[in-house]
Amino acid sequence: MFESIQFSSFGDFVEMGGYAFNVWSVYALFLLFFFINLYFPILKRKQIMREQKRRLLVNREKVSIDSKLSNNEMDKNDS
Amino acid sequence: MTAQTVTTFQAFKATLKRDLLIAYKRKNDMVNPFMFFLIVASLFPIGISPDPDRLAEIASGVLWISALLASLLAMDNLFRSDYEDGSLEQLLLSPHPLYFLVLAKNISHWLVSGLPVALVSPLVAYMLNLPGESYFTLFITLLIGTPVLSLLGSIGVALTVGLGSRGLILAVITLPMSVPVLIAGTLTVQQTLNGASLAGYLAILAAMLFAAVSFAPLASAAALRISVK
Amino acid sequence: MWLWFSKLGSPKWFYELSGKWLPWLAAGMSLLLIVGIIWALLFVPPDYQQGDTIRIMYVHVPFASISLAFFPLMAVAGTITLVWRMKLADMVAKTAAPLGAWFTALALASGSIWGSDIWGTWWIWDGRLTSMLLQFFLLVGVISLRSALEDADAAAKACALLSIVGCINVFVIKYSVDWWNTLHQPSGSFSLSDEAPNPPEVWVPLVIMIVAVYLFFVVSLILSTRNEILERERRSQWVQELIGAN
Repeated sequence: MFESIQFSSFGDFVEMGGYAFNVWSVYALFLLFFFINLYFPILKRKQIMREQKRRLLVNREKVSIDSKLSNNEMDKNDS
Repeated sequence: MTAQTVTTFQAFKATLKRDLLIAYKRKNDMVNPFMFFLIVASLFPIGISPDPDRLAEIASGVLWISALLASLLAMDNLFRSDYEDGSLEQLLLSPHPLYFLVLAKNISHWLVSGLPVALVSPLVAYMLNLPGESYFTLFITLLIGTPVLSLLGSIGVALTVGLGSRGLILAVITLPMSVPVLIAGTLTVQQTLNGASLAGYLAILAAMLFAAVSFAPLASAAALRISVK
Repeated sequence: MWLWFSKLGSPKWFYELSGKWLPWLAAGMSLLLIVGIIWALLFVPPDYQQGDTIRIMYVHVPFASISLAFFPLMAVAGTITLVWRMKLADMVAKTAAPLGAWFTALALASGSIWGSDIWGTWWIWDGRLTSMLLQFFLLVGVISLRSALEDADAAAKACALLSIVGCINVFVIKYSVDWWNTLHQPSGSFSLSDEAPNPPEVWVPLVIMIVAVYLFFVVSLILSTRNEILERERRSQWVQELIGAN
């Protein structure tokens, strides 16, 4: 199956038999889409983690402050 | 006690009658889809060309798309006023199968919005220079097709009934779903011009109507249960 | 069986299991993708009719074939949401809809770039393109319904129902558009898939690319679903512990 590379030179490869625009734009779109669809979920995950961690810390502080004031107000810190 | 046992058929009739009465009292709602159909259809010659030959070519498509848009516009008052005054909740609480009640509402809605459009379509077809022999076919296809549009649209309306502004989202949900009906309708009309036999085409439209009558009210009923609380 | 089923529906279980699988899936995806792309770009012989544009097939066909899977997937997830009220199914359905719109859009874009030479135009109202476009519209409808409904529970059920209706509709649309298309173009336009029997050096890389793109679909679906789980389950004990440990 791997008889040979189909292009004799790098210039040929870039040219794609005259269809450079079609071939390369499709592959560029594909790679762009590929990275966007992996990058954004990962970015979002970090964001969620940061956000939740902050919330957790704030809550903990609140809880510790509140517990000094009164033990009954814990429920309010849920949100 | 006997007065309180209402059969499902009686409930069906009562819902139908009530909706027709309401539509009759609010004549605006009745006239608007119909006027909208006329106006949209008359925009096409102005926008494209007054040339009779070109109009004849596109007439069936223009009529069908205008009917589709008119039915979409009319969809808005299918459940909305009932939702706002709470009678939709009463409908959901009724012991009768919701399928029949929704079907009754759909039928009454079609009688005031789809039927007038189908009835006036030969007149507009004449204005758009549709060849004479296809008037009847056009009328028949609209007669079979507009209830399908109403039934499909009612699913979208039922899903979005709780939303404040839903004009556009209803269109986005409903219009792609209506494509098969549009295709079947316009193809049937065009086939008349080719002189081909219509039986198969009308059978497909009729099959769509039967499928829509049997399944769409079920989906609408389920959607109403989801969106009304 | 029921125990297994309810366990499957638990977001925590899915989160942990998918966390274990994710590296393997990602590794397999990267490997196949690199092999597939290099093979497709360098080693596939040019087609006798289409020349080097045949290389576009290795992107277009995988995307087009996966695009067709979205509505059935969402309909199954929707049925599970409506019948068993499984939270996980709705999370998958929610993340699948935008992903499906992206896949469909890319299939359309790559198809039209591929076709621009064969047909001499960027767009023709070909049966496959038209039904793909309508599927894209239906997906946009599901996404906009989801964003319009504020109550998460109602949105889940409404989208589930719309997905089921949409799935049936996609099939009806496909048949009616084919019918419409054959009547309007009786001569039959150039069809992309009906080619002469292909030698293995053409279809083997295609299979590799299809599997790679499927893995890509699974990986990005899992990534987004995990985010959705973290957001929706943020009040639960295990997410709090997870974040605390992080």
